[in-house]
Amino acid sequence: MTYQIADEPVETSLRAYVVRPSVPLLASMVAGAWLSWPWFAFNAIAMGSPTRRKEIALCIAAFVGTGLLGTLVIELARAGVLPAGAPLRLALLGIVTFKLAMTYYISMVQERTFHVYEYYGGPVRAAGRLLAAGYWLHGLVVGLSDDPLWVIIVAGGITGGVTGKL
Amino acid sequence: MEDRQVTVLLEQAEVQRRLGNHRSATELVQRALTVDPDHAQAHAALAFTLLGARRLPGAVIEMRTALGLDANDPYIHHVAAQVLAAERKLDDAWAHCLIALEGPVVAPGAYVLGARIRTLQGDRARAKELLLEALALEPAHTDALTRLARLSLDAGDREEAARLVALALESDPADREAHVVAGYIDLSSGDAAGAEQHARFVLGQSAMDEDGLALWTAIQARKSWLLGMWWRWNAWMSRGGERRRIARLIGMFVLARIAIIITDELGYDGASRALTLGWLGFCAYSWFAPELFRRMLARELGTVRLDPDF
Repeated sequence: MTYQIADEPVETSLRAYVVRPSVPLLASMVAGAWLSWPWFAFNAIAMGSPTRRKEIALCIAAFVGTGLLGTLVIELARAGVLPAGAPLRLALLGIVTFKLAMTYYISMVQERTFHVYEYYGGPVRAAGRLLAAGYWLHGLVVGLSDDPLWVIIVAGGITGGVTGKL
Repeated sequence: MEDRQVTVLLEQAEVQRRLGNHRSATELVQRALTVDPDHAQAHAALAFTLLGARRLPGAVIEMRTALGLDANDPYIHHVAAQVLAAERKLDDAWAHCLIALEGPVVAPGAYVLGARIRTLQGDRARAKELLLEALALEPAHTDALTRLARLSLDAGDREEAARLVALALESDPADREAHVVAGYIDLSSGDAAGAEQHARFVLGQSAMDEDGLALWTAIQARKSWLLGMWWRWNAWMSRGGERRRIARLIGMFVLARIAIIITDELGYDGASRALTLGWLGFCAYSWFAPELFRRMLARELGTVRLDPDF
């Protein structure tokens, strides 16, 4: 039994499904958070990341934070505090920035372990097909509900459609 | 018997670390820790090795473990100062460095480390004192000579800087940092060709070397204003670690979006469209820019083989 260094990933049975952290990051842009954040969480588990709890907690925090910010903006817009036009669009931009920052941060945390994982010869899967599937499915997922909060949470970027629903 | 085995393994690891074989060094220290998991110096050695392999989170944990096992060993404080300096926790790094400097036998490297920390803290006078103390112990200490040359150059004393860096290169002709400082000295005296030779040497050893790239950028800026701007932009974008790079990109995104929203709301449709197209163009550029930068650097350096990760 060799001494285990704290930043070394542990062996898991899901190693064959590990992708580069840049792939879920790209998924957030081409498909949306609905694919990106769960994928980051799965990747952390598959890689046996020593920081997987932190990564999963960050993914949950990203969903919860977006939900809270979305609810706040929707309520303020409905109460007339946030008028349509520039104020509302800037408020929605704040949510997009939060989502982007969280996605990049999770990617950065996962990249550290991935660097060590790859260093020790861990297998890495190409994920082009899954990304393409995510791109084709994102319209379907976003369209599952008319609720603007749903769109705010699952979408990659907020489109003009959200402002129209408020 | 166990102690002897650990000592031999740590000595072998140190040799590998000095040769830049971080993987072999790590494996050897791991073997030492398998024999004795509570060996404080082995944990410190592992922290040092991981730091060299750019595995900072692991280095931090190992450094804390070493300190927890033995808080009185100056070597462990020296390693702690190195790791904390890499984390940019400079006050803590300096506190550990002071303890390391109070040890019964102080190596010149400890003074150089102290000088590095004080320089980062902006205290150049103290840094110079520490470097002179290192040189009093070992007059041909390459690192001390190089850092002192850098301080002299920053203070505007080019002649003294040139003298010191010549001594450093005499002591170790392959020293990367000495070549960087020599490049800046050449550049400050208008000798771009001489500076380029030093930059080629540094980037030939590692094309990802930040200091080497910064020197190369400064040389390109001297040659052509436009090209220099592009190199400066790339150097700025890649400076300061992952966190800062991401913050810069998100900042640019937010500024672009705010500008688009405001121009759109004010009815300047043309400007809004131009900004949107400009932003999309930048996004597209950012996809191929790293490859373009890599190819251009490879072409500029000619015979240098770039790291595949570059």
